[in-house]
Amino acid sequence: MQVHTGLTGPYPRPEALIHATRDLDRGRTNAEAVEELYRTTEQEVVALERRLGFDQVTAGFLRWPDLFRPFAETWEGLAVGPLTRWLETNTFFRQPILLAPLGRTERAFAARLPPPLRAQPDAARLLLPGPYTFAGVLENRSGETDEAVIHRLGRMLAEEVRELRGAGFGSFLFSEPLLVVHPPEGPRAEAVIAGYREIQSAVNGGTSIVWTYGADALPAFPLLDRLPVSVVGVDLAETDVERLPEGPQRSGLGLGVIDPRTTLGEDPVEVARVVRAAYARRRPPSVSLGPGGPLDLLPWDPATRKLGVLPAVLKALGNGGPS
Amino acid sequence: MTDRLFPSQEIGSLAKPRWQLLGQRGEALDDAAKAEFRRWDERISFSAELPGLRDALLGGRTSDADPDAVRDLGALFALRLLETAGLDRVYDGEARRIEMYEHPIRQMTGFRFQGHVRSFDNKYYLKAAVTDEVRLEHPYHVEEFDFVKRHAHATPKLPITGPYTLADWSYNEYYLARQPGWKGRSARRAAQREFVVDLARRALRPTIRALIEHGCRVIQIDEPAAGTHPDEAALVVEGFNAATEGLDAEFSMHICYSDYRALLPELLEAKRCRQWAWEFANRDSPGHDGYAVLSALAEYGDTREVGLGVVDVHRDTVETPEVVAERIRRASHYLGDPRRIWVNPDCGLRTRSLPVAQAKLEAVVQGAARARADFENPRR
Repeated sequence: MQVHTGLTGPYPRPEALIHATRDLDRGRTNAEAVEELYRTTEQEVVALERRLGFDQVTAGFLRWPDLFRPFAETWEGLAVGPLTRWLETNTFFRQPILLAPLGRTERAFAARLPPPLRAQPDAARLLLPGPYTFAGVLENRSGETDEAVIHRLGRMLAEEVRELRGAGFGSFLFSEPLLVVHPPEGPRAEAVIAGYREIQSAVNGGTSIVWTYGADALPAFPLLDRLPVSVVGVDLAETDVERLPEGPQRSGLGLGVIDPRTTLGEDPVEVARVVRAAYARRRPPSVSLGPGGPLDLLPWDPATRKLGVLPAVLKALGNGGPS
Repeated sequence: MTDRLFPSQEIGSLAKPRWQLLGQRGEALDDAAKAEFRRWDERISFSAELPGLRDALLGGRTSDADPDAVRDLGALFALRLLETAGLDRVYDGEARRIEMYEHPIRQMTGFRFQGHVRSFDNKYYLKAAVTDEVRLEHPYHVEEFDFVKRHAHATPKLPITGPYTLADWSYNEYYLARQPGWKGRSARRAAQREFVVDLARRALRPTIRALIEHGCRVIQIDEPAAGTHPDEAALVVEGFNAATEGLDAEFSMHICYSDYRALLPELLEAKRCRQWAWEFANRDSPGHDGYAVLSALAEYGDTREVGLGVVDVHRDTVETPEVVAERIRRASHYLGDPRRIWVNPDCGLRTRSLPVAQAKLEAVVQGAARARADFENPRR
């Protein structure tokens, strides 16, 4: 059994890029200069990911204003709405507004992927919103039921995945904090399963990861265990590992072992202990380690410092993983 | 309770005028800054009280102007703007503060700034980690209060960022590291409690005590982060009570953009809080009564004053006095006692231009006068 490591959300912008984007807004620099900085920073993130031994690279998704904007701006039927608080954080996103039946423009989303990923799709891990979280954050003015919207978003995301598979991409991480923040029940839970069935069909032999964070995952495990995906991740800063349900777990187990809510670095020996405990309870076919939530809740330097614990954790686990 | 119905108050920061920003950096004022200075000086007449600065700034001799004196002038400008609008309680628009987080943190030791975090789009804020025990270097806001007290014609009301918000907007290293074992949810909660209480006892309380010793009688403790984690409402209260323990002043608590019901009843345990200063106008629209939540206070039998947000600080459209008056009437209905109401903007007006801010403040005052007349002469 192997232990995988990798990023599970957007990476913070470094100070130089922060200053450049501010200057761009204030008319003190030009778009070409900022674009050049994006390019070099993306390469820096890829180099960092490779140096840390990650299985796939993300390039940090530094350009995206938020998780939903690439879709709110490229899919028909969606509009960009007001600033809205992102979970229990001091960060905000623009709420998508669902106005009408959804439609997508071919290759529009793919064009927004970081250039280093487009250049090497087989090594890329793509970040996407999960259908339940997407449905949960948008303002639904379409008249459709919540269940129908969840299922429809699953189909739309599946279409994106299908196109991306055709372009050579093979690994897709769906960010799904709301699955644990507001666990769905009844017909909504079934709509989530149906949405992921569509997605898994499109993934077609690739890797699908559902990553949850922001709340205790325990109440959501009955649903998480039914998701037809390759890996399901939980945030161990929120979820008590000693109370994880007994396995065996069919899908791979994702463990958020880096807490982006604090700059305090993790102790690799302590992380390894917790990983072993989680493995012993869940007995999954594989383990994937990464940040529990989006690392862009931290500035660049502490995020990079904290991420550096992962190779040490692997070493503490004996490289071959928990046993 | 006050002598007349619906007295008015400021709630926080104003935008700093361009002439102040340039002037305190020692940069020459451009034409726009000069025009802005002249326009406001004609309207609210603030520069004659600090002689010499006007000539230095408008005459292109900014380098002759002491940056501290320019800040004084900025504070005086904001004070006169608020007073000219007709408010009963005023301050200086937080003219000297960097902003409500960084400014107090820089008055303490135990913190290390970590870098910028994105708030949204290309907007960022600087964030610090607590890496050692919180220590106050010296009480803050005292000099600015002394200046306001010397110059104010209306009653000064000082805003100060509360301990819960300072903790929530910081990274917790020191207190979390002291928790044994895995840093999960229970460890994080215990560490946050220690952090909030230390901030309250070691930084806020000595500062508030010093302010009271300098004559500050009305103090607004700002806790905008209170609504971020509704299940920590008891910790907000613990911080408030620790910060004000044994101190005698008129305390209020400002919270905004939150689900107030989710904070009740825990919030009601704030012992020395005399007034809730909350935002309402932002959530008030033709299809949604933003003031209905006030009935929750009545349900819990809470009879404290309410600082009623009656103008939205996130929109440029200026509310008419009639809209303000109607909001006051509705709030009176929910509270069952109009004597408990103070009126104010939802939050600080810093995000609005100065002309819009002034117009909104005038609407607050005029709307209150209209509502007052209605209550005093119901058949009018």
